[in-house]
Amino acid sequence: MIINNKYLFLLLVISQCTIYSQTDWVRWEKSDPMYQTNNTYLEREYDLSIESTSDIIIKPVVNTYWFFISDVDGDNCPFNPSCSSFFAQSINETNLFQGTFMFFDRFTRDTNIFGRQEDYPRFGIYHFYDPVSLYTLDEKKINYIPAKTYVKE
Amino acid sequence: MIDFQSPQNIKLFADFLFCDKDYLRAIDEYEKYLTMVDDDSVGFKIAIGYFNMNDQYNAYQKLSLTKESSPFYEQSKIEMLKSLYLQNIDSSFYSSADILINSESIYSKNAFRLKNTSLLLRKNELPEKNIFLIPFYNDEEHTISNFYDLKKNPPYKSEIWAGVLSTIIPGSGKIYTENYGDGITAFILTGLFGYLAYTNFKHDHQTRAWIFTAVGAGFYLGNIYGSVASAQIFNAKVNFDFDEGVKFYLEEKNYFTPVYDFCK
Repeated sequence: MIINNKYLFLLLVISQCTIYSQTDWVRWEKSDPMYQTNNTYLEREYDLSIESTSDIIIKPVVNTYWFFISDVDGDNCPFNPSCSSFFAQSINETNLFQGTFMFFDRFTRDTNIFGRQEDYPRFGIYHFYDPVSLYTLDEKKINYIPAKTYVKE
Repeated sequence: MIDFQSPQNIKLFADFLFCDKDYLRAIDEYEKYLTMVDDDSVGFKIAIGYFNMNDQYNAYQKLSLTKESSPFYEQSKIEMLKSLYLQNIDSSFYSSADILINSESIYSKNAFRLKNTSLLLRKNELPEKNIFLIPFYNDEEHTISNFYDLKKNPPYKSEIWAGVLSTIIPGSGKIYTENYGDGITAFILTGLFGYLAYTNFKHDHQTRAWIFTAVGAGFYLGNIYGSVASAQIFNAKVNFDFDEGVKFYLEEKNYFTPVYDFCK
């Protein structure tokens, strides 16, 4: 009985080694590579934590928009950060009213399709860099970057 | 049999590397040479090598070892001043500049020019224009005079005026700050939603009318806010372009220091 258990134990150990060993079929199997690059731009910062009064309304609205509309629609905003992210960040940095005015101004600039090349630095290949810090009306926060400069991700 | 470790051959090799712009290796070879031979010109070349590699700290340290009896003593003083300027060590720079300006050095005027030009990039109050332009030669006076005028009277846009213009005519504040496309877009959007609100009120579609009113008001107030912000950004651009212009001019003039060509 003891001898049989020993053999059984040995058999189990050996089988553990062979179960995960590479076979000819595994080596020669057709691979399915993913050529799509990681688009960090689309990594949303979903966040429903309530840090101020305005977060009670704004964060659920923005997160719902991202989940049901924006992430399905795709990467369409020509700016970085996108208009919805800009809205959320501007409210975080200032307050609800100022953030709303900043958003409407941003939306106006988004609607303007003329002369963007001459006005904004580039972020990556397809976007223009337009951070919140330029529009808080605080001169000390303005870090001017000339148009057509490439800003690294 | 060639002795590659002889001082002459080490210096020849170092000169070759220096003229080939391989400054790091040239400095190593020059340092090896200096352990055998005491040569001020080589010490000076090492400093120039560090300058060319943008290593201002080591250039300064090397130049500070130049003896008073060396033929490169005068040049080393002006080069040290340049190094202090490029390292942004303002207090040491200005005190060293004043010492050099008041000395009998042949480069005292160069130091004066560098000091005055650097004042354009600082927030310090500028002296009177006629005093400011004293050290500059005729061909430089015109450019420096333009910089002086721009520093004294920068072409800023008024944030308040941009806001007022946009209050009266939506988008006009942005046109004032030279964002023509944004200004026209703001005018069209505000006008469009205003018109939609008006026609819906006229036809008694209250809900729609109020929605368009709210959106139109948002665009209107956003356009005023954006005009003020765009004036601030315009002014930041003016400051940036001015600073870059002065820095480019200084670089072109080699910071009013002599240009050396050791590779003739």
